Amino acid sequence: MAAAGPSVFLLMVNGQVESAQFPEYDELYCKYCFVYGQDWAPTAGLEEGISQITSKSQDVRQALVWNFPIDVTFKSTNPYGWPQIVLSVYGPDVFGNDVVRGYGAVHVPFSPGRHKRTIPMFVPESTSKLQRLTSWFMGRRPEYTDPKVVAQGEGREVTRVRSQGFVTLLFNVVTKDMRKLGYDTGPPDTQRASGPSPPQGLPR
Amino acid sequence: MAEVHVIGQIMGATGFSESSLFCKWGVHTGAAWKLLSGVREGQTQVDTPQVGDMAYWSHPIDLHFATKGLQGWPRLHLQVWSQDSFGRCQLAGYGFCHVPSSPGTHQLDCPTWRPLGSWREQLARAFVGGGPQLLHGDAVYSGADRYRLHTAAGGTVHLELGLLLRHFDRYGVEC
Repeated sequence: MAAAGPSVFLLMVNGQVESAQFPEYDELYCKYCFVYGQDWAPTAGLEEGISQITSKSQDVRQALVWNFPIDVTFKSTNPYGWPQIVLSVYGPDVFGNDVVRGYGAVHVPFSPGRHKRTIPMFVPESTSKLQRLTSWFMGRRPEYTDPKVVAQGEGREVTRVRSQGFVTLLFNVVTKDMRKLGYDTGPPDTQRASGPSPPQGLPR
Repeated sequence: MAEVHVIGQIMGATGFSESSLFCKWGVHTGAAWKLLSGVREGQTQVDTPQVGDMAYWSHPIDLHFATKGLQGWPRLHLQVWSQDSFGRCQLAGYGFCHVPSSPGTHQLDCPTWRPLGSWREQLARAFVGGGPQLLHGDAVYSGADRYRLHTAAGGTVHLELGLLLRHFDRYGVEC
């Protein structure tokens, strides 16, 4: 009699929010959270976090480094709704108010191994020039009421955004029992830098 | 039945002469395929890039198919449109690419094209905007009746799609 196979597989993700490239902004901090489908549940680790405030380095690199750890484990019965990490970056404007500088999201990679991802960050745009002026003046920029919207496809067709920076993330992924359940995740592609490359003139 | 998960993003587009782009996308499959979860079509946000010339959408795609056969492997078809400051939309390109057939993460670059009209229509498009569009969207991903078209190249759409296959080895399929 064959033993009953597993019905649940585990996904363990650790890594860091490494650094950011925002040519026009300084003194930024980031918040991350995970968005996942109904069949997923976190079993260990932290689902959300807020990093420190970082300033650009004085040298020619102008690097914004957070080095902020990520460590979470999920269990699931179905790969649909694979977890995505949603990042929101905030910084001060001219008057000292905290305004959003970018939102971005990416799926956690599913082949085991080490992965580097550079994701673009975008902000919603004001509808008219007058609204852009008043929001700059009052310090209340357009932002999403729930940053998790960035991880969904529905409802985005009416939004206009401006992309203005990049954030680099590093992931180490370990899965358990996916192969026993019949899933084939393909060859592990370790140490592959992926995602859009920043345009010339910006440090990688 | 074998199952296929397509998990990834439409990252963005480069090489278009217009900025402020958005993309309408859809997935077309054969008769043996059934969509179990996920949305089969959608539209991305409109992005105006401040840094560089790539418009970034980061639009997530998460599809779960069950299939009884290999024919009609899913195809992703795209329409890239540009929106000007008055809110008018103009077609920038059509394109399609097959969803990859081997498991793992893939970077895809999908080239696009747009229909050219007569010289009058091309002149009007340069001054006033507009331009010819396809009546039936299936000419984008099927080869029939393409010989009637005269087109010009648009830019490239960049996608990162990951593929997760289940039970394909049970049926002896190698991929």
